[in-house]
Amino acid sequence: MAGNPLNDGLRIEPTPGNATLVIFGASGDLTRRKLLPALYRLSRGHRLPARFSAIGIARTNMDDEGFRKQFRDSLREFAGVEPGDDIARSLAAHLYYLSGELDDPAVYQRLTARLQEIDGADGVLFYLAIPPSVYGTVIRQLGAAGLGGRTSEGWRRIIVEKPFGTDLTTARALNAEVHRHFEEEQVFRIDHFLGKETVQNLLVFRFANGMFEPIWNRRYIDHVQITGAETVGVERRAAYYEGAGALRDMVQNHLMQLMTLVAMEPPIAFTAESVRDRKIDVLLSAQPLVNNGRPNVVRAQYAAGWVAGSEVPGYCREPGVNGSSTTETYVALRMQLDSWRWAGVPFYLRTGKRLPKRTTEIAIQFKQPPLQVFKAASPSSVSPNLLVINVQPDEGISLRFEAKVPATRMQLAPVMMNFRYGTAFGGPVPEAYETLLLDAMLGDPTLFARHDFVEASWTLITPVHEAWRAEAAAALPQYEAGEWGPKEADAPMAADGRRWRTL
Amino acid sequence: MENAVNDAGAGAQALTATVIAVGPPGRLDDPAATLGQLTSTAAIRGILIRYGTHAEPPTRTSERFVTLDGLRPEYINNAVAALRLSSLPSIVWWRGGDEADLEGLAALADRIILDVEEPLPVWRAAVPLVERTSLGDLRWTRLTRWRALMAHFFDIAEVRAAAPLFHRLDITGADLPAAGLFAAWLTGALQTSERMHVDLQRTTGAPIQRIRVGNGREELMLELAPNGTCVHTAAHVEGHARAHRTVSLGDQSTTALLAEELRIRSRDAAFEAALRRVVEARSDET
Repeated sequence: MAGNPLNDGLRIEPTPGNATLVIFGASGDLTRRKLLPALYRLSRGHRLPARFSAIGIARTNMDDEGFRKQFRDSLREFAGVEPGDDIARSLAAHLYYLSGELDDPAVYQRLTARLQEIDGADGVLFYLAIPPSVYGTVIRQLGAAGLGGRTSEGWRRIIVEKPFGTDLTTARALNAEVHRHFEEEQVFRIDHFLGKETVQNLLVFRFANGMFEPIWNRRYIDHVQITGAETVGVERRAAYYEGAGALRDMVQNHLMQLMTLVAMEPPIAFTAESVRDRKIDVLLSAQPLVNNGRPNVVRAQYAAGWVAGSEVPGYCREPGVNGSSTTETYVALRMQLDSWRWAGVPFYLRTGKRLPKRTTEIAIQFKQPPLQVFKAASPSSVSPNLLVINVQPDEGISLRFEAKVPATRMQLAPVMMNFRYGTAFGGPVPEAYETLLLDAMLGDPTLFARHDFVEASWTLITPVHEAWRAEAAAALPQYEAGEWGPKEADAPMAADGRRWRTL
Repeated sequence: MENAVNDAGAGAQALTATVIAVGPPGRLDDPAATLGQLTSTAAIRGILIRYGTHAEPPTRTSERFVTLDGLRPEYINNAVAALRLSSLPSIVWWRGGDEADLEGLAALADRIILDVEEPLPVWRAAVPLVERTSLGDLRWTRLTRWRALMAHFFDIAEVRAAAPLFHRLDITGADLPAAGLFAAWLTGALQTSERMHVDLQRTTGAPIQRIRVGNGREELMLELAPNGTCVHTAAHVEGHARAHRTVSLGDQSTTALLAEELRIRSRDAAFEAALRRVVEARSDET
């Protein structure tokens, strides 16, 4: 019996072969908030393999029992799971922990021994939930311990969290370091936006429906707006954020990924390489964001203000932030793609912290009809058709079109047709980390960034940082927390005869 | 120029299906509540048709829910034909009635989900319909988790290697037709129908209580935990360490099972094969 005969026709989605997950940074925020709850939910939906174990590694001094307690605590805090839950108890029995310094070879020897003790795993998935500054260290140590590369003992894969590098040079160096010890097929660069149902559905929406693709081009689309708005400030991430800023933190990865999914050509098949090949084409077609040394990117920093009824400090007053910091917390930019499909169609991208509302969306605005037949019925201009893809928090798609208001005279009004993931199919929507962890265990890299995507996006972003460094710090505008960014962000839109959507 | 309004919130919702519950009055109280819940939480139109004696029964209509109270069964096809929307998939939730009506409904419905207390006569009537519509059964939906857990064992190479030696399957539970459906699926998929001794024991309580398959020395076991929401799984097979696990059975409420069915539109070959085997195995029964 070669394959599993019982999987034929099973409505349950595929489960990976027996696996061990090794989490570096096991006592950190990402592990507690996202990874451990995701493992629990996967177990609850019996999507984990028959034999699954997880080994946590971190500096925090803890034993297996301590890690299991952290697991239970994080489930209670971030997944609402009661103590004594049978599934949590069962999964906890397969959790192990190693404490030590990540640059200590002895840790990797102990890891090797522990992996050998855990009998029956077909493969090992390493998860780097650690600060980017130690990615290289861990990758080198894994390689030195013989835990990287291909092996006859089963598959080995590695998930690397964003940010992947801080500019083109560091991203290339990190790719080179990774490739010294792992082949590209083994590397899964995670961007949790890509695990969201709506983002995946974007490909289905475009390429499984005959009606949208014919109008998905410069003849019918006026422009595209992609917004990633957060209400939170820098929170406890000041140490990271000070060196990153909004351009690195959001645009280089999340917003670029969304833009490429909107703009890509149809892949020849829904395979990882086909999809990723078409996405990279989009980045390669993008015009530079810096012209004659001047960046076409508006940046700003939030000042004190009010968000959701609470008074909040300005960025420079946040704990851990340099009082004279010039780190941007908001960026807005206009991306132009030199392609047959998109020539002349601007893609406007914006992201910011301490904005009035937490929302991520892609808004595709169509051109007006060529003739205003209903000018008399609608003295103000007819609202253009608008397709909004909500990425978070309410995943779904809305379409705005004009309709006649019921009356004896002709009067027009815009109406919305909504599709909401949360309710349409009457079942739970998986969290992004569930989807991505599972895909990595299954060896499907479609939703992960390939090395050339990372480098191409840094090729666009790095010159902006270089140009900013040459500018005077005084040039950094401010916006009041709780407002939709600085007025400077409106100017480039206004120059094009457009404006940002009010969300 | 973009309208400065927040237009992402309100608006008509995109619907995904029309669900039509059909059955005699005593069998539609629970479906009424379930459909009511689903129309408010899922994007469906709900239609409830209670059998009775009226050619033109009283009708209650709200935005996404229609109730026909007391329709004469011979008019069921006319009613469904009139109420279904051509633009939405129609799913009939069959809670009982004359099995002969299924044939007409198969021409109108994209999917028929069977859900009756004594299923054998309905299953017999349903087998010839599989080429005309997509068929399901809530008993089968309820078995999905059990089937997945059993399939999970067979991801282990040692279990697959031992499978040809398995010759005994014991299933206990309150729902013997469901147990029979599971046995038909498992023995068919493993191609062990000839040598497998199948023992189905009726108990009180949960539809399925325990499933054991093995050969005396080696055994795979799924057993409902005392809390009724989890399943203990255990594999004792030579050549590999014993594997014990407790996993969720998932939400087994009718609403959740129906929601699961709403995600499926295509034919279910595994169900059709199991259904045929059950019907063939019991062809001598009246």
